[in-house]
Amino acid sequence: MASVKLTNVQKIYDNNVVAVHDFNLEIKDKEFVVFVGPSGCGKSTTLRMIAGLEEISDGTVEIDGEVVNDLQPKDRNIAMVFQNYALYPHMTVFDNIAFSLRLKKVPEDVIFNKVTNAAEILGITEYLMRKPRALSGGQRQRVAIGRAMVRDSKVFLMDEPLSNLDAKLRNQMRAEIILLRQKLDTTFVYVTHDQTEAMTLGDRIVIMKDGYIMQVGTPTEVFERPANLFVAEFIGAPKMNIIHTELRREGSDYYVTPFGAHIKVTGEKGELLEKKGIKPCDVILGVRPEHIVLAKDGAEGIPVTLEVNEMMGSELHLHVYTEDGTRIIVRVPTIDLSEAERMKLVNGAKLSITFAGKVMHFFDKDTEKNLLY
Amino acid sequence: MYKKRLTPAIVKLVCAALALAVALFFFYKAVPPIVKSLDVDWSGGKPGFFASVMLGLYTFLYGDNIDSLAAADDGYGVHLFACIVFVVIAIALLVLGLRELKGTNSFNRMADKSGIEIKKEKRPTIADFFKKVWSAILGFFKAIGDEFKDIWLTFVNGDWKTKVSYLVMGFGCIARGQILRGLLFLLFEIVFIGYMIFWGASWISKLPLDMTKLSGATQEYSEIYDSYVTTYHDNTFKILLYGVLTIFFIIGFIYTWRLNVKQNKIAEGIIKSGKKLKSGKDDLRSMVDDQFHKTLLALPLLGILVFTVMPIVFMILVAFTNYSGTNDGVSNLFTWVGLDNFNELLSWKSADGAQSYAATFGEILAWTLMWAFFATFTNYFLGMLVAIAINKKGIRLKKVWRTILVLTIAIPQFISLLYVSKMFAKNGIVNGFLMDLGWIKKAIDFWGDTRNNGLMARVLVIIINIWIGIPYLMLIATGILMNIPADLYESAKIDGATGWQQYSKITLPYMMFIMGPYLLTSFTGNMNNFNVIYLLTGGNPLNTAASSTGIAVGHTDLLITWLFKIATGSGNKYYQASVIGILVFVIIAIITLIVYSMLPSVKNEEDFQ
Amino acid sequence: MKKTVSITTVVILVLGVLLSAFGGFAIANRFMANPIWKVDHEYLTNKFIYSSIGIGCLIVGILLVLFSAISISRQASEANGPDSSKHHMGMRASNAISNTAIHILLIVISIIWLTPFVCIVLQSFRVDPLCQVGYVIPKHWGFDNYVNLFVNKDDAGKVISTTLSTNGFLRWYLNTLIIALCCAVMQTIIQLCMSYTLSRFRFKARKGLMKFMLILGMFPGMLSMIILYNVLKDLGLTSEHAVPGLILVYIASSGMGYYVSKGFFDTLPKSLDEAARIDGATRAQVLWKIILPLAKPIVIYTVLTGFMAPWGDYVFAQYISRSAPQGMNVAVGLYNWLSNDQINQCYTKFCAGGVVVAIPVAILFMCLQRYYVEGVTGGAVKG
Repeated sequence: MASVKLTNVQKIYDNNVVAVHDFNLEIKDKEFVVFVGPSGCGKSTTLRMIAGLEEISDGTVEIDGEVVNDLQPKDRNIAMVFQNYALYPHMTVFDNIAFSLRLKKVPEDVIFNKVTNAAEILGITEYLMRKPRALSGGQRQRVAIGRAMVRDSKVFLMDEPLSNLDAKLRNQMRAEIILLRQKLDTTFVYVTHDQTEAMTLGDRIVIMKDGYIMQVGTPTEVFERPANLFVAEFIGAPKMNIIHTELRREGSDYYVTPFGAHIKVTGEKGELLEKKGIKPCDVILGVRPEHIVLAKDGAEGIPVTLEVNEMMGSELHLHVYTEDGTRIIVRVPTIDLSEAERMKLVNGAKLSITFAGKVMHFFDKDTEKNLLY
Repeated sequence: MYKKRLTPAIVKLVCAALALAVALFFFYKAVPPIVKSLDVDWSGGKPGFFASVMLGLYTFLYGDNIDSLAAADDGYGVHLFACIVFVVIAIALLVLGLRELKGTNSFNRMADKSGIEIKKEKRPTIADFFKKVWSAILGFFKAIGDEFKDIWLTFVNGDWKTKVSYLVMGFGCIARGQILRGLLFLLFEIVFIGYMIFWGASWISKLPLDMTKLSGATQEYSEIYDSYVTTYHDNTFKILLYGVLTIFFIIGFIYTWRLNVKQNKIAEGIIKSGKKLKSGKDDLRSMVDDQFHKTLLALPLLGILVFTVMPIVFMILVAFTNYSGTNDGVSNLFTWVGLDNFNELLSWKSADGAQSYAATFGEILAWTLMWAFFATFTNYFLGMLVAIAINKKGIRLKKVWRTILVLTIAIPQFISLLYVSKMFAKNGIVNGFLMDLGWIKKAIDFWGDTRNNGLMARVLVIIINIWIGIPYLMLIATGILMNIPADLYESAKIDGATGWQQYSKITLPYMMFIMGPYLLTSFTGNMNNFNVIYLLTGGNPLNTAASSTGIAVGHTDLLITWLFKIATGSGNKYYQASVIGILVFVIIAIITLIVYSMLPSVKNEEDFQ
Repeated sequence: MKKTVSITTVVILVLGVLLSAFGGFAIANRFMANPIWKVDHEYLTNKFIYSSIGIGCLIVGILLVLFSAISISRQASEANGPDSSKHHMGMRASNAISNTAIHILLIVISIIWLTPFVCIVLQSFRVDPLCQVGYVIPKHWGFDNYVNLFVNKDDAGKVISTTLSTNGFLRWYLNTLIIALCCAVMQTIIQLCMSYTLSRFRFKARKGLMKFMLILGMFPGMLSMIILYNVLKDLGLTSEHAVPGLILVYIASSGMGYYVSKGFFDTLPKSLDEAARIDGATRAQVLWKIILPLAKPIVIYTVLTGFMAPWGDYVFAQYISRSAPQGMNVAVGLYNWLSNDQINQCYTKFCAGGVVVAIPVAILFMCLQRYYVEGVTGGAVKG
């Protein structure tokens, strides 16, 4: 139970590759923070620097107000779950979980209670006397978590703990981690490349790219107010549609003109544009797939051709392209379409799409920064 | 646009041409012995077809003077052998080069035509290599400069404790409360100074081996024995040995002193920032934790330093002295002779009509390279074949075959080698067997036949080495074969590859990639394969011409066994052995460097982790 | 019932077996001291024709067996039913041919590989004569050679002492055993220290150190011997006291042979170390509690190689023991028995000694073969 503070942290490898640039973050006590980003963005390196497994090239890492730069991992009072679980193959599950306690010379009866307790919570009591190789992926994952649980550590670090599991198990374990967090009530730092995990687990999300922090914020913030194009594209699935277009001002109203259409910017966005006094210019327009709708027959819209139709069950993902070849994904709830309408959605079908004026995101053409936030 | 890269192809073609030239040279050298061995009476009668062709060749190359034939060497085996080897190498290089040339060109053409931009990874060139070396040299001197600057700045900026530490090592540590560290530093300084005063200084001062200041053995009158006894004064061997050790010690001291200075600087910094210094207890604890690698490495590295590095340094130094059987360093002192030994080895002429060292060296080097080449590649290909045969689907009793082969590894080599060597002796089992069959009338002298430069013994050694070496290769190849992902074969089968194509397109490249470093080490290992040669043949059959240098040399002697004979044999020219040792090192280092830089699989050590 | 194999094939098979049996017998017969089958016909007494006929019969017989085996397998696959396509059959037949050929090849290889060992065992039981002879199967059998290894007898054949007290074979054997045991233990410790460090720690000098050792390895070790001899002589560890000296020489530089075990450690996931360090283990505890229990195969490999090497070393042992029988190992001792002046009295004794040396080492090796193979293959792959 502790706060973690990273100040100007840098990681430079021997070959002068900079893995992490000037990283500043304050993680509050009992907060669940998720580092997310594509592979090679420096998220794992940052986590490992907190753990003490990587040397910190510059800056300081504080745990609970104490600078831990020069402390060995064992002296930092942290627990960590590894991607490949890192279970000791020659020890039983019980010994695996008890290992850290034995090193601390905790009395055996206390160890027994703690281990069985943790096993109870994780539902692995019956496997306690087995070796890790006799366990399934999900069970190994639980053992790894159990090993971290019994430590009563200040910070709980998790390095892509779910990425070695299959999709179904991953969803299940995700829910269990949420439950676990409620039980443990400690500080969590969680690394993943999966934006769904990040959105569902994190109190706050740190989105990274090439060693830089792109945005830090709650799931709602990063989803609704992405700081830049990268975040906008990274968060949300299927990813946001990007359209190069022009922002026009007509009177007090702003308009965009994607593919010859003429759409008025309304709602909060329009007000913000006004307030910030954005001048008409070329912009990158971002629209999430779920905000695009198929125009009813006869209604005005952007003409597109259907390329691929993905039936996801509750919704359809329509991959379409416009006349100039821009590809756009449209997400349509299955329930909104009648059987007859759905039958028409075959490859090559001519459709027309439109979207509301209040759901658009505007990014600067050059800096790719969000114009509004 | 695709940038043309013709250099690799050109390099290969040039190398092919060179190899061809060398082959021609050997052929040129082989002609007279061949003609001579035909033993035709040229003056009268009609020579046969082959003989007349050879004679024509000879007159073409050497002129009409047939009398000069008498002076030609007896054996042509080595020359022909080398000629064939180099022709094979040249053909291989030629094929590779032409293929590359064709490949690059047609690819170039197509890429140009299609207009597709193809990015190619930049390959390091030779210029890059030299740049790297240059910057490394610069970096080295800069680092030294930085060290001196740092020492100076530490002194100027340091407090009085630091300043005293420059003279009294460890003073700063003790004064700041790091007693354990300080005491160790101090102890080391005291030991060092004590050693230097009592022993070290005298060893170092005698190291120039100035004969005017040293005295060897003298006859002195002893009252105890009431006669003259030999008294030994200076021992140049010891002087050199302990001189080297003392220099090691001095380097160690300088390093420790520098460490001591650095410690002071670090400690000052820590105190300034208001933190606590590490106590002796912390130091001890870090020895099993964050400094654990130093603890682990201490013993092995000490062993290597004293028992490997020191002898090598000594050996290199001996190459510049006249340490030999007559100048053994005790009864007769030896001294520095500069580059004389190298001159002796590399000069083509010898004083008394005997074969020169250089010629002998060349002869043995040629055989050593040939031996290493054949020993490595016969083992490699045959071992692989055996492994593939054993691992083929549908072969029964896999374990039995493997166990039988592995028996040669299990049984100490000296037994099997000595026994096999005796099997081929004149009165050995093989001769007995062949005579019993009635196939031969007289015993074959496998190890004593000097015809064709001892070709028979040489071939036999290579064959017996196959017997020794295949099991290792079989084991290694089996391991690799099992590691080749099965889906590679499955996908190749689906792509329509036949069994042979699967072997040549998947198995062989995969093995080559993985075993590249192994082949290299086994090549250099074979160059230094003392045991097989020494125990099998002892170098025989005797090479009379080469032995005229003073040490009995045989046709199967490798550089390493020759060196052993020189160092320990009757001549006891240890200095010459050292020179050869250095040359062997240079040769192996060059081969390794060249091959290593060409291997794809060595560069990415971390890829496996 | 369907006829699966034709009569002709069976006849050919039987013929082949008979022919090869005859050939084998004829060859064997030729080498027997008292031939079972005495041939008086003049033209058969010629050794050359005799043995050639035997070998010819053997070869033809094997070929016939091979041929019939192929056709049997082909017929069997034809009989398998109409669903097996023609292509399939062809593949089967060619597979059968190549498999049979490979089996024969393997048999030949095995014979070649085993011959020296069979010969040495046979000759170790030969009582008379003691020198080298051209035949393999002894005419007089006995254990005398083995007995002579261990005890000395006087002229009347009475045992007067063991060879331990007279610095004979038993002494050498013990010397080698002591050296081998010490080497096995010390070499393992040193090599594991070295390889674990180089595999797991990333310190500044690591790469340089590895390169340095690579370069050191290129110098011919032979030359170090002479200087090491002088150093050991100063320490009084040569001639009669060569055993500790040899141990020192063997183990001191063993750190250079770290490659194989480093390759092994590289395959153990690094996250194991990291997890243990986070769990509160010091580096030493990581090695002791996590890595060593997992490194059993490589420990056994290193112990095995460390134990086996001293049995075969001749050069160093010879140079450092300086022909002092108390300090020799078996290799030096047995080598001397084959020197020109001793070979006529000691050849069969050498064979017996070789067997006595080889048996324990070979048995140990065979038991632990699995680990050796793992080590060798892993080492070669990792370079």
